[in-house]
Order: sequence, then C-alpha cells, then structure tokens
Amino acid sequence: MGGRPGDGGDNGDGGDFGASDVHPAHPDAAPQDVRTPRAPAPVAVDVLLAAAVRAHTVDDDGEARAVAAFRMAREQGAHTARTRRRDDWRPREQRSAGRSRSLRATLAVLLASLTLGGVAVAAIGVSYDGDGDRDGRTGSSGSASGRSAQPTPSPSEGRAGTDPGTHPSTGPSDRPSQAQDTEARCRAYEQLKGSGKALDSTVWQRLVDEAGGERKIEAFCAAQLAGSDARGKGQDGTGDSGGTDASSDPGESGDKGSAGDKGGAGDSAASERAATPQPEKSQGKK
Amino acid sequence: MGQGGESRRVQAYDGELGAAVARAQEGDEAAFAVAYRIVQPGLLGYLRGLVGNDAEDVASDAWLEIARDLGRFKGDGAGFRGWTATIARHRALDHLRRQKVRPRATALETDMLDLPGTQSTYDQAMEALSTEQALELVSRLPRDQAEAVLLRVVVGLDGPAAARVLGKRPGAVRTAAHRGLKRLGRLIGAEGVTDESPRTLGESR
Repeated sequence: MGGRPGDGGDNGDGGDFGASDVHPAHPDAAPQDVRTPRAPAPVAVDVLLAAAVRAHTVDDDGEARAVAAFRMAREQGAHTARTRRRDDWRPREQRSAGRSRSLRATLAVLLASLTLGGVAVAAIGVSYDGDGDRDGRTGSSGSASGRSAQPTPSPSEGRAGTDPGTHPSTGPSDRPSQAQDTEARCRAYEQLKGSGKALDSTVWQRLVDEAGGERKIEAFCAAQLAGSDARGKGQDGTGDSGGTDASSDPGESGDKGSAGDKGGAGDSAASERAATPQPEKSQGKK
Repeated sequence: MGQGGESRRVQAYDGELGAAVARAQEGDEAAFAVAYRIVQPGLLGYLRGLVGNDAEDVASDAWLEIARDLGRFKGDGAGFRGWTATIARHRALDHLRRQKVRPRATALETDMLDLPGTQSTYDQAMEALSTEQALELVSRLPRDQAEAVLLRVVVGLDGPAAARVLGKRPGAVRTAAHRGLKRLGRLIGAEGVTDESPRTLGESR
C-alpha cells in the first residue's frame, strides 16, 4: 500500500494505517506539492483522523487525579486484587497456553490415577511372592486399591493369620512363584469381571497366554482357584493345567516368568513409591 | 518521516507503555503517570467520539477505575490500551444511559469549536481537519463503524483487541472499520470540511 497515493482509505486492515501514504512517495511528487489543492487526497483518512481526534495535550489535573487514585488504591492494598477474565489482555497464545496447560495438567492427573490403578492391580500379582516384608507390601497395595486386596486373602495369608507363631515366609516360598502369580491374576480377573473395568493389559495378556486363549480364561481360573486350597495344604499339588503349563515348557515360561518378575518388581516399587511419601512427610514434620 | 502516522506512533509507544505499566503494578506512581500520558490522548479522543464534550469527565471516571484495578490487569502495552479502552467504554455507556434519563441542556459548548486545533508541522502542511470537524464526520457513520474506526485509528488497537473491546467478532469489526474509513474518505473528498456542529454517537438520529 505504500506506493498508492490515491486511496488512503482502503487500508484499514493492516497494522500500519497507511502512514507511508503521507509521504510524497511518488517519485514526481516534490515535497512542496503538498500545499497544492490536490494534495490532501493522498493523505490516509486514518492518519488525518488520528491527528484530529487524538488529544494533543494531556491535562495535568487529570493526571494528578489519576495518580492520587493510584496512590490510594496502592495504600489500601487494592492492587493485589485477583485478575478477572476481562483483565487478562495477554496475547491470545499466552492465554490459550495457560488454558491448555491446565488441561494438560488435568489429563496428567487422570492418566496418573489410571496408571496407579493399573499398578495396584498388577501389584496384587506380585504381592504374594514376596518373602520378608509381605505385610508392608500387601498393606501398600491394599491402600492403593483397598477393595481388591482385602476380600482375597491368599491361603498363605490365612495360614499366617491362624497361627502367627510360624514364620510367614516358609509357606509361600516353597511354592513356585509362577503358580502364585497365575492364581493372583485369576483372582484379579474374577474380581474385575463383573465390574466393567479392564484388567491391566500386562496381567490380562499373561492370563490369556496361560489359559491358552481369552475364552478359556474362565474355566482356567476356576480350576486354578478351586485347586488353590488343596495346594495351600499339600505343597506339591501343582498338577493343574496351569502348573503343568508352567513346568512343561521351561524355556518359554522361564522367559516369561523373568520378564513378568521384572515388570512386577518395577510395578511394586512404583506402588511403594506412591504409597510411601506420606509417612516420610509426617516424619519430616516431626 | 517525522510527520503523520499517528497510530503508528501510538503503537511504537507500546513497549514503553508496557514497561511503565509493569513498574506501576509494582507500586511506582511515576510510572503510572507515564502510562497515563501515553494512553490518555487516544482514550480521550475515543471518548470524544462517544460522549462529545463530556469526554474529560468520563475519562476522569475511567482513570479512577483504572488506578484502582491496575493490579488485576495482565498484559503488555497493547493489552493495556485495550483494557483501558474497555473500561472507558463502559463508563461512557453508563454516562449515555444516565443522559437518556436526564437530557443535557446544550449539545455543544463553543470552546469545543474554537479549539486552537493542532499546530504540528504535519497539520500545517496538510490542511488538517479540526477536532470538531473530524468528530462531526465520524458521527455521521453508523455506530459500529464509528466505534471501530475510533478504536483502531485513534486509540491504536489492532483488530482483535478492538473486537474484544466491542464484544464482537474480529471479522465484523475489521469490516466495520474498513467501511467506516472508506466512507470517511468519501465524506472528506466529496464535501470537504463542513461547519455543522458535531454530534455525539450516543444521540439517535
């Protein structure tokens, strides 16, 4: 628009209001031409208007009044007032960045809660193969998902409860951990089956693998859980399909087992991390 | 280069204005005075278009509110222009509502007409419009066009900011400003400058 002397009023869109039109930008328009009768035409209307309407002097009294009001507000502490929506004139990107940041935070919290929920379910699977600190661990997973840990006492726990004198680690450590994991996964499956919630995908996948297909899980788990009491008493009673599955294919199940254990250890560590900060905090306060 | 481009000059002050506002928000009253001096000319011009001779009073009210609520404001220099224009506009609309109830005695004082006008070299060179002549021309525009033109040209807001002040879509305000300026150009070109007395936008015609 710089070089069009004719239509100054046409440029209302741009950030610069055609101020360059003011210039005798035309090569043959000498500076003294501006006084000729046809000179006002090149002037942009907006420039003319701004020059005419904007105040050219600032009233000192008005300024003094405004500053006095400012001082009073400052002394009354009014300047710490909260920013309302209509007071936020930051550029659009910043405002929307703030909004999307809060959205992102919400999503992160949501995701974290889902993940912790999954960890809690997964932790059920590993909470039975612990030996030393079994109580602490079941406690932590119980606190994360109290509903799932409480109503499913494992047989070994039940035994430890009935005769507390025996060392808690002797019973479970005798049994192959693979069978315990399977059992725990089955318990989690049974619990979540009717509630419409999904089993943690790792747990679910392993259960599918063990049962030999999604459709077989039901029967597989029924057999597992039915045999769990018997196995609790007689230590070698692992002649179920799950047990043989695990032992008949040592290479593969060994791989799976180690992978699962790694994952389980990570999960339980995570759940413990999630559960521990509070006691630490309270200790710190004391 | 030193001549013309009022609104460009307006926008060139935005950095300085933003810094002054930031200092004022920390309690610096000298910085608040700087912000006043930068903002007031455009704000007063806008209010002249809205309420005519009462612009000074309305501006004074607006500045009381601006001074009180400064701590709430968030933004840069350009944002401060928009924020203050919004406050001034609300004060002006309140004022016009009160006037409808209690009509004022005279439409115009003579000192308005006799304003010495602008003495800058630009004006001398350009046979500039006087303030009242310009306001009279603006008052012939439809209300939405007049306000859009004043906010963009006189206050120096960009399109989105002007739209926010007016509570309208940016596209609508851009169109209104464009049409308003075009019509003003025709008015100036066709009739030149008239001696008709200016009217305020608030009056229905």
